Amino acid sequence: MAAPRKRTLTRKPKDGALPPPLEPPKPFAALDLGASSVRLVIAEGEGDAMRIVEEASRAVLIGKDTFTSGRIGQPSVEAVLKAIEGFRSIMDTFGVVRYRAVATSALREASNRDTVVDRIRVRTGIDIEIIDGSEENRLTYLAVRESLKSLPEIATETGLVAEVGGGSVDLSTLHEGEPAHSGTYALGSIRLRQSFSAFQGTPVHFQKLIVRHIKNVVDDIGRELPLGEVKHFVALGADARLVARVLSGSEPEPLAAIPRDSFLKICAEIAALDVDAILSSYRLSLAEAETLAPALLVYAELLRATKARTITVSNATLRQGMIFDLSRSEAGQGIEVFSRQVLASANAVGEKYGYDAKHARHIASLSLRLFDDLKSEHGLDPRDRLLLEVAAILHDIGLFVNIRGHHKHSQYLISVSEIFGMSREDLLVVSNVARYHRRALPQRSHIPYMALDREAKIVVNKLGAIMRMANALDADHQQKVKNLRVKREGGLIAIEVEGVGDLTMERLALLARSDFFLDAFGQRVVFRETTKGEF
Amino acid sequence: MKTKSKRKAHDPEIFLNREVSWLSFNSRVLEEAEDAATPLAERAKFMAIVTNNLDEFFMVRVASLKNAIAEGDTGPDAAGLSPAQQLALVREGAALQLKRLHELSERDVLPGLEAMGIRIVDFADLDPNLRPGVVRFFRDEVQPVITPLGIDAARPFPMLPSLSLNLAVLFEPEKGGDDPRLGVVPVPAVLPRLVRVPGAESTYVRLETVVLSQLGSLFPGQVVRDVSAFRVLRDAELEIDDEGGGDDFLSLVEDEVKGRRRSKVVRLDIDARATEALLKELVSRFQGADPVVHRIVGPLDLRFFFQILDLPALDSFRDPPQRAQATITPAESADVFSLLSLRDILLHHPYESFDTVTDFVRQAATDSQVLAIKQTLYRPASDSEIIRALAVAAEAGKQVTVVVELTARFDEASNIRWARRLEDAGAHVIYGVRGLKTHAKATLVVRREPQGIRRYVHLSTGNYNEKTSKLYTDIGLLSANEVLGRDLSAFFNAITGFSDPPTMQLLTMAPVALRTRILSMIDRERRRAEEGQPGLIRAKLNALVDEDIIRSLYAASKAGVKVKLNVRGICCLRPGLKGVSENIEVVSIVDRYLEHSRIYHFFNGGDEEHYISSADWMPRNLDRRIELMSRIISKEASDRLSSILDWFFEDNQKARALEQDGSYRRRKPGRSEDPSRVQVRFYEEAKARAERLRTAPLTLEPIKRDRES
Repeated sequence: MAAPRKRTLTRKPKDGALPPPLEPPKPFAALDLGASSVRLVIAEGEGDAMRIVEEASRAVLIGKDTFTSGRIGQPSVEAVLKAIEGFRSIMDTFGVVRYRAVATSALREASNRDTVVDRIRVRTGIDIEIIDGSEENRLTYLAVRESLKSLPEIATETGLVAEVGGGSVDLSTLHEGEPAHSGTYALGSIRLRQSFSAFQGTPVHFQKLIVRHIKNVVDDIGRELPLGEVKHFVALGADARLVARVLSGSEPEPLAAIPRDSFLKICAEIAALDVDAILSSYRLSLAEAETLAPALLVYAELLRATKARTITVSNATLRQGMIFDLSRSEAGQGIEVFSRQVLASANAVGEKYGYDAKHARHIASLSLRLFDDLKSEHGLDPRDRLLLEVAAILHDIGLFVNIRGHHKHSQYLISVSEIFGMSREDLLVVSNVARYHRRALPQRSHIPYMALDREAKIVVNKLGAIMRMANALDADHQQKVKNLRVKREGGLIAIEVEGVGDLTMERLALLARSDFFLDAFGQRVVFRETTKGEF
Repeated sequence: MKTKSKRKAHDPEIFLNREVSWLSFNSRVLEEAEDAATPLAERAKFMAIVTNNLDEFFMVRVASLKNAIAEGDTGPDAAGLSPAQQLALVREGAALQLKRLHELSERDVLPGLEAMGIRIVDFADLDPNLRPGVVRFFRDEVQPVITPLGIDAARPFPMLPSLSLNLAVLFEPEKGGDDPRLGVVPVPAVLPRLVRVPGAESTYVRLETVVLSQLGSLFPGQVVRDVSAFRVLRDAELEIDDEGGGDDFLSLVEDEVKGRRRSKVVRLDIDARATEALLKELVSRFQGADPVVHRIVGPLDLRFFFQILDLPALDSFRDPPQRAQATITPAESADVFSLLSLRDILLHHPYESFDTVTDFVRQAATDSQVLAIKQTLYRPASDSEIIRALAVAAEAGKQVTVVVELTARFDEASNIRWARRLEDAGAHVIYGVRGLKTHAKATLVVRREPQGIRRYVHLSTGNYNEKTSKLYTDIGLLSANEVLGRDLSAFFNAITGFSDPPTMQLLTMAPVALRTRILSMIDRERRRAEEGQPGLIRAKLNALVDEDIIRSLYAASKAGVKVKLNVRGICCLRPGLKGVSENIEVVSIVDRYLEHSRIYHFFNGGDEEHYISSADWMPRNLDRRIELMSRIISKEASDRLSSILDWFFEDNQKARALEQDGSYRRRKPGRSEDPSRVQVRFYEEAKARAERLRTAPLTLEPIKRDRES
């Protein structure tokens, strides 16, 4: 989930500047380096008092470069540097020191991404963080949720949030208003345009060809996401907003509902135009005009695959989500709501593989109890706690493949799953934690473990050790342990367990599986049984 | 849109030629000098202005007509005239004007000055007793800086700078030769044109006549056959090639300024007493340039009147002095920010003091909570308080961004100096936008306040120039309106290249959107009129040239929209034409102050809109300049703008109405009307307002800032 990394700029000190009598809100900024533009939003204040101070954008063509040649060309890099340099100056205008700057697929997939990030940092002092699709979804969802407050029906039915970007389309299904499944698919408008760039023919032929391709991918998506159950289709992105503007005459504020048929009709109409006609009809930049038709065709095919009667265009954007996120992290709120969404999504993955929900929830609660009691030993933060919880929920999904070596199957399945709010890095930790809930401890021959960086290995060790013990405490899958607490007795960690029935199996399992704990924490674990009421 | 389908065909019968219209404006200024009711010093000032105007007109407009002809361009303008036809008209008109001007000087103004005890004479006419003092002055001050130039095969004719005054000398042929030889003596421009005669009260001798009297010492041993003063004017059109590489735009302009003396001579003025032989010899040196030649009776270059305007002897022959009036109390001006958080301030210069603006910038520069100041500077005064304040702000570590326009005609050299000075202070100086002149006048102040970031703006129709703010009429707006602040912030981001041009709510920017916006507002008025609603457009401008806009105004007029235009200078629209412009009225005001404010008013079916702008309705403003138009939304300010416009159309003293044929007729008070001179009325109004301010009972009311205001 990658909690926003703290970034600050150093500012020229002012001679003789007195501190203000009353501490004014500190403005913060979100910068988003996308496929066809780089954008900046500066805001200040928290929660409902949050107010946008400034917005700026510059067109850049990095998506075109990346999705054509795999790397960003020198002219585009220069354009990005110039744009961000200007944004830096705007940030200085308002005294912004706290910011988050992210780049999405157009930079993520470029082979020279590290050089570009470094050059931006050296030239402008701005640290660009390359985020993956799930973090992008999480952030965007923050803004989506805000905009969906005016659509209460969505809280009781299945919804789909779709954003066609330059490189990919991001999809999240909403179950009772919370994100359940999500995925990122290579159906971006620039990518589509580039894949068919060799095509010479009329717009109509082009449209046919591209639609066939989109249909195939959408069919595949339908196998992963329950598109057929979707009743509310929420579209994000500049292309969708343009349609809303054309049909209703104004920007969605924050939502605009368009009947399914009108939307499909205008998509077909626009797709039949050539780029020049689009340019002159809609006052767009060339880059925007070129990708409008492919983007709309993707929306149209996705819409066709659902049951939605209207399409709801939302004005939510990634940078808005980042701004919400920044305004909340300033106020120190938001983690609970976020955790709920992550867990809902994890449970959806569990269901997909027919997990034992009771056992999963039980292990999760035991793990969390151990985690909380062992705080002074592990020194980890709430973010790691959430990773542990997700690992506990999913630790047994490998049983779906085979009972033998199921911990290894769990590892693989988790590592390739899409869980709302979990980045690739997060999922690698979670999948390793799940893997070590039984059998062998980490070894040099375990490639997924060895691929982790040092810090991540330590987190896996600590969380893995905790979950391994928790799992031992439900060795019988009967949820016999009702409560527990950790006591420190000299160099020993005593786990006092209150349970029902015979806990022999659990006692033996704990003794056997505290090996990892001894490795990770350097402390021995003993099992103590107590009777009810002693806690 | 109807007006988009620009008809290529020209309609001579519905458009006036812009050059002729300009000459006619200059003639109205000359009328003020000719008016015996104008105080003598003001007449002399108007003559210097007319001279200056004609000089610029030749260096820019006539030069460009000549270039067009040289390039073989025969395409007619909207009024159906080819460049050659225009040049013929312009030559004739300008010659006539110069004749009027110099006759006036000889007949009325110089004798008038003499009657006041101010004598401006030829060295030759000077009392012999007084000559030795002048000769001494020549030896001590003039001779060291003078460079007489003999011209022969080895020494070609020199590159005389534009606007320079010189003597042409024809010497007797050397022994054995047939041809007379030419010499040139540039009259030093570093010395004042009028030399005070030692030992005589208020007597001046013109420098060129002093030099002429001392030719013997400059060319010893030569026999002078003929001598005459002349001046040359060159093509001044700055053609900056900003397409090629080269990042240092500043040095580009520096080069260009130095290079100006090399461009073609467009006009040659010579003393009427010069012999044909001398003139012929001289003109032959400008072969290929074919300058327009004027023989002038009396002294050349009447800009020398500027030099004597401030003499105490003329004190009772001036317009009564007018002091710019205060619009806010001293307590309010001590904290402009607090005042602006309560209300907008509309300023009408020069009646109302520009100090409020200077105070605003100065307070922003020293206020500890101000984070940034951004400003456009087009033609600031040479010793500008605003520039000093900006330098202070930059030195204090505030972010200071200044967008300067280096290609502001005739002022480049001074612009370059202060731009360097701001850079040295740490300000971020941007030398304009490629291909476009930055003509918008705007200041943005970003301030951190307890409730958060707050932006303050100043927008104006006139430049940040303390000197011209006392001579030009302009409207300025100071405001803390949040939408306006955000718009202006976006504007600066766009012109500094930090962001792509944004969509704005209260501001409209040229060249991105201004023309479309103006056309659509005119068209909106037309549509409403066609639906039977009353339509009214009022605009006050310096010039109306743009064909699209004129056509669209014609369409509005035909639909029944009442169009009232107050256009000080060039106007290519013909009013009162049957079936075309019957509902259009055009008035020009030329008075003591140069009318410079641009105000637009659209009735819009009762939902009235008022604007101020930096833009005239000319293609160059709408297409090749960065301009701003700002909607005025505060009720108080827009009501005031509306009544300002009312008054402009009530003038019957200094207003001239444009007739169908392009001529102007002075307005006279009707039988039941009182005389109304708008510039006097504005001053009286400002005075009364300032008086109310002074006598207002003092209330001690703590100011509470309201964030939502």
